[in-house]
Amino acid sequence: MRDNTLKYFLVLPAVVVVFATAIWPLIEAARMSFTVGRLNRPGSLEQYIGWENYAWAFFEEPAFWNSVYVTALYTVVTVGLTTLLALGLALLLAPGGRLRVSAQTLLILPFAMSPALIGVSFRFMFNPEFGLFDAFFGVMIPPLADVSWLADPTLAFAVVVMADVWGWIPFLTLVLIGGLASVPRDTIEAAQVDGASSWRVFRDVTLPQLGPVLAVVIILKSIFSLKTFDQVFMLTNGGPGTATQTLSHYIYFNGMKYGQIGYSASVAWLMVIPMIFLTYAYAKFVFRKN
Amino acid sequence: MTGKQRKQFWSAVHAVLIIAAMFVMLVPILWIFLAAFKSHVDVYQLKLFFTPTLENFGTVFDDPYRLGEKLFNSTVVALVTVVIAIPIATLAAYSFSRFRLVGETAMLVVILATQFLPAVVIILPFFIMFRDIGLLDTRLGLILVNLAIVMPFAIWMIKGFIDGIPLDTEEAAMVDGSSRLQVIWNIVLPMAAPGLLTSGIFCFIIAWNEFLFALILTNKDAVTLPIGLALFKGEEGDLWNLLSAAGIIIMAPMFVLALMIRKYFVQGMTMGAVR
Repeated sequence: MRDNTLKYFLVLPAVVVVFATAIWPLIEAARMSFTVGRLNRPGSLEQYIGWENYAWAFFEEPAFWNSVYVTALYTVVTVGLTTLLALGLALLLAPGGRLRVSAQTLLILPFAMSPALIGVSFRFMFNPEFGLFDAFFGVMIPPLADVSWLADPTLAFAVVVMADVWGWIPFLTLVLIGGLASVPRDTIEAAQVDGASSWRVFRDVTLPQLGPVLAVVIILKSIFSLKTFDQVFMLTNGGPGTATQTLSHYIYFNGMKYGQIGYSASVAWLMVIPMIFLTYAYAKFVFRKN
Repeated sequence: MTGKQRKQFWSAVHAVLIIAAMFVMLVPILWIFLAAFKSHVDVYQLKLFFTPTLENFGTVFDDPYRLGEKLFNSTVVALVTVVIAIPIATLAAYSFSRFRLVGETAMLVVILATQFLPAVVIILPFFIMFRDIGLLDTRLGLILVNLAIVMPFAIWMIKGFIDGIPLDTEEAAMVDGSSRLQVIWNIVLPMAAPGLLTSGIFCFIIAWNEFLFALILTNKDAVTLPIGLALFKGEEGDLWNLLSAAGIIIMAPMFVLALMIRKYFVQGMTMGAVR
């Protein structure tokens, strides 16, 4: 077979798989979003109702806007905190040395914890009776000892954020350490010789050089924050009330618990829109490198 | 302080900060680890010092929890997903790396984009379809859906590895009369083997930890380990010692695999967008 034909045959199986497992369901979800779509009512997935599901989400469902708000706040806070803390940790670990290299190795270990498991472990640690934090505060700050972390809306949100930040710090730190390694040593030394303070060196030399890497990290983390489901499901299951109900969780609940598949699909599609913009931004970085 | 003293002071501060940060990063893991070896009584008493027991690891495999079945499901689903994904992804990655294709950029962008699709969007149609054709609660169904998240990742990652293989050996073999497929089989595959292994491990980890698909598509026969965690709720709430033991069983292989791919961690997670 000539290369000219062969090259398309080589990609064919992959294209078929990607189409069948991602593109088809995406299109099918769009179609479903315009139907009544009840799980327990046969034929309702062929009953078209136009934009009604979307209108319902926008105008009749405070719970939808609540989940939009929770997701947006969650994304902003987790992206901001994770990036800042990871940057700090990366600066601390980047210069090398034995302690720092072993620390970098240890950073891989939390990656072994799946998000679901992170959710479980934080629920355990924040248990008001026999969690780690109960013990810690019992000794250090007694008034905080018996706080029911996951029963209070604000505190529960804070714990969910904490779990997410904890889980993503290692990845972001390692990426940023890689980025720091590519900042030319001599520019930094030249600035130091000129008498610039560490802060000035960081602000005027390191940070601008790190810009593209930081951008990639922020885009990637935003994508993952927007999608968050696993650890929220395991940690608070969206509660108390709907205080930690992210969009993914809202879609899951409406679809699988209430059987409103059509409505779920419409909210799911609304979620795809910001994803497209973020993916586009991310793709620009990937293709610049290739 | 003299300059030298100041330097020593700051490096001591750094060392303390690093150790503190590492402690914070490892505490949740340690906490689960300790609880997995505590007895039913000790885990509810917040003891730091206790007599470790292996009992929990036996209990989780016994009735009614039978974690062994979930372990088997997880292993089969993750392994078969990888075994299907890697060869298909390799062929595509080779073509993307070595040839110019009509619509190549568009295809690559779409493949990249599918990796970021929220799982909850693609799972709704699959649920309906699987319900209608009887694939709900089967390992086969789970494998098919897992391909959605593993395939784009594998294509991009393997493409990165093949891009790094120099062309001359391939060209020399072609001059000697090898066909393109022979070149792929005899030259590219052996040279790309470490990359394929790394990609395979990444995909295995993704499939092993996958949660939402398994939550929606399984309920009894094909339940995987992460969903199995939900079993450990008793009359009086979570059974923390058993949950922790199950957590260790989920984590253990991931620890080993994560350490194996350490070198490629950043590259794999960012698809080469960084560096």
